[in-house]
Amino acid sequence: MSVAFTHLPTDRIARLKWGKSWILNARADSPPLAVTDVENNAVRIVAHEAYAARFSIFRGQALSDARALVPDLECHTRDRAAERSLLGSLAAWCERYTPLVALDGEDALFMDVTGCTHLFGGEASFVADVETRITAQGFTVRVCLADTAGAAWAMARHGTGRIIARDQHIQAISSLPLAALRLDTSVVASLGRVGFKTIGCIADLPRAPLTARFGRHLLDRLDQASGRQDEIISPLMPVAELASEKRFAEPIVHEDDIKRCIGILAGNIIALLERRDLGVRTCEVKLFRVDGEVQSLGVHAANPLRDPDRIAGLFHERLGRLHSDLDAGFGFDIVRLNILQADPFNGDQHDLVERKDTGERYAALIDRLGARLGTNRVLQFSFADTHIPERRFALVPVSGRDGKTDPDQVALPRPSRAPTRPLVLLERPEPIDAIAQVPDSPPSRFRWRKVVYEIARSEGPERIACEWWRDGRASLSRDYFRVEDTQGYRFWLFRYGLYDRETTRPNWYMHGLFA
Amino acid sequence: MTAIASIGTAKPATNQSQGPSPGPGDNDRQTGVSFGIPDLDRHLNGGIWTNALHEVRCSLARDFACAAGFALGLAAQFGKPDARRIFWVIDPAASVDSGLPFPDGLSEHGIDPKMMVFARPITLRDALWSADQAAKCSDLSAVIFQVKGNPKHFDMTATRRLMLRARESGVLVCVLRQSGDQEASATATRWHVEIMPSGPDPDFEPGPGQARHVQTLERNRHGRTGQWTLSWNPENRTFEDGTPKAQTAHRVRRIHASADRPDSPAEVG
Repeated sequence: MSVAFTHLPTDRIARLKWGKSWILNARADSPPLAVTDVENNAVRIVAHEAYAARFSIFRGQALSDARALVPDLECHTRDRAAERSLLGSLAAWCERYTPLVALDGEDALFMDVTGCTHLFGGEASFVADVETRITAQGFTVRVCLADTAGAAWAMARHGTGRIIARDQHIQAISSLPLAALRLDTSVVASLGRVGFKTIGCIADLPRAPLTARFGRHLLDRLDQASGRQDEIISPLMPVAELASEKRFAEPIVHEDDIKRCIGILAGNIIALLERRDLGVRTCEVKLFRVDGEVQSLGVHAANPLRDPDRIAGLFHERLGRLHSDLDAGFGFDIVRLNILQADPFNGDQHDLVERKDTGERYAALIDRLGARLGTNRVLQFSFADTHIPERRFALVPVSGRDGKTDPDQVALPRPSRAPTRPLVLLERPEPIDAIAQVPDSPPSRFRWRKVVYEIARSEGPERIACEWWRDGRASLSRDYFRVEDTQGYRFWLFRYGLYDRETTRPNWYMHGLFA
Repeated sequence: MTAIASIGTAKPATNQSQGPSPGPGDNDRQTGVSFGIPDLDRHLNGGIWTNALHEVRCSLARDFACAAGFALGLAAQFGKPDARRIFWVIDPAASVDSGLPFPDGLSEHGIDPKMMVFARPITLRDALWSADQAAKCSDLSAVIFQVKGNPKHFDMTATRRLMLRARESGVLVCVLRQSGDQEASATATRWHVEIMPSGPDPDFEPGPGQARHVQTLERNRHGRTGQWTLSWNPENRTFEDGTPKAQTAHRVRRIHASADRPDSPAEVG
């Protein structure tokens, strides 16, 4: 099915100016709208309202000419980014009909609705539903439903029918002009010079001479339109493996209703998972609003889940995090649960009150925290094999390890009463003012965060050279010292750069504190 | 330096004090686990309650490492034995000042950094919620809740709730308060940590040796308050008495204090 938004740029501006239902409410009394852009070094009109056609304004007309015809023409410059995002959100909304929605150029969509139309009571009512809903949101649209994408495209833009019956598409498009085949204008022009005006003219010609004269692309388009060649439409959003949805005649608004609905959907989908012996790892709930927006909530679990209560519980936490951001508008009329990632399920998940299965409650805790705080805020250490202290470790999300929590094997120091590494490391080494004997002595006094510390004991230096393969040969080595001041505070500080061998003015930094 | 008895509010050492009766689901921790230091255990009436809420407080930001070391020591020695993970709730305001635990340092302190899990919430409400959820999970050994100062919403009700959770699940919950004042709360014990010059290092005379801290027990629900010098033994993962026996403060050769004064003008003639 092809959905063509014939006046997308001006519709976008009209929606902003007059509200989304400007088409339904009969156009306000105001000068015609046009959108301009610079083409061929002149400011030209690239899109205009349907209303503006009355005044003999057309696409490609120079702005000065248009202004001469209609002095109070309202012009806006083209904003491609806004149009693209608008098309994207329209595509997201059209997912309520089918998950296979693809962008087509800058102002149209393709939807693969094989097998979906019966849900709406037949093709005619499906097409009518799409048209009315999109028009109600303020877009002028032309739709066509056909067996092939190419035929639908052609009919939507150049034809008059809205539904092409099965196997009738070749006949239906044969009377359409050649531009309906999505060909370049040069090819169309050259075909026109030879005398071919409609698709029907070239449909039955011998193929080899056509290819030789006009190129491979022409035949590809013909075959795509007639169905001899498949056209690949790649959907915009990843298609979920399993999905379960619920449609409401009366849109729901309250959070409790949404939670209950999610619980029902989770219960429905468990049967499908059990049949395939899978458990849920990542899933999302899409809430389709009546007036054209889509909200999406995602949830991730460390181990495959099959308990509907636990899945619903994770979504409750997620909703709790969104609490004030969830704007229901006039209500949601479709709620869909998509399973994005499912892994083989091992082990039973009865309702454990408290039993031996350790790790189960820990995994549940991690999932709950991830749902509420965000999975990037529940962290554990991961290690790297390097000498530079701040690079030795990183805090990474817990659930990003396929359920296992075994970090890489890096040798860690053994417990010791006189530790060589500080317990706490500052986020960034802080510069300090220190006095030390050159070249290699520890400082005797230093000032950090406006407090002066007198050193009583020290040990060092421990030299950690730079990683020249990462930082470049100009980077300096560090000489670390463990120092203790007269009160007992113990610091880990370093001198950045060897005196006289690497730099004449080495700086001192504070890096960590010992317990 | 022997223990200074009864600082502040002294509680009479009664004999019946096993404290309030344990709640349902309590897994037989009625007597506290002893520290191994007789005087301290006497003050705690047997030992520290391991399925309870405790607080470790320090006054200055630079004391944070000492307080963290003490809290981690408590978690290592007194946390739930059959579990191993320690859960740490980071306070975003605090980590800018004081930094984050360093895995190598944790390992030298006797704690396996692979068993640490962190949560980094944005608001205090989320932090309290995370601590709550973690305290309920009996697969954890201990929960450390880092907080800076004395925020208003972390009040008596919140601490009471954490205490009840800890009691039910057996997890040791410790509040690590940085740069905070004393505040009434439902904790079983509250400790104030201060640094002391360290003991001698047997291998290297001028170097910093084993750490010693002055721990002041400011509030004790089941006994008296007091002050002790403790040091942590990472190999055994226990606390030891840290009173210095002989002071051998060997000093490094220091530059004279006049080193940073401007050069005196040359004498004339």
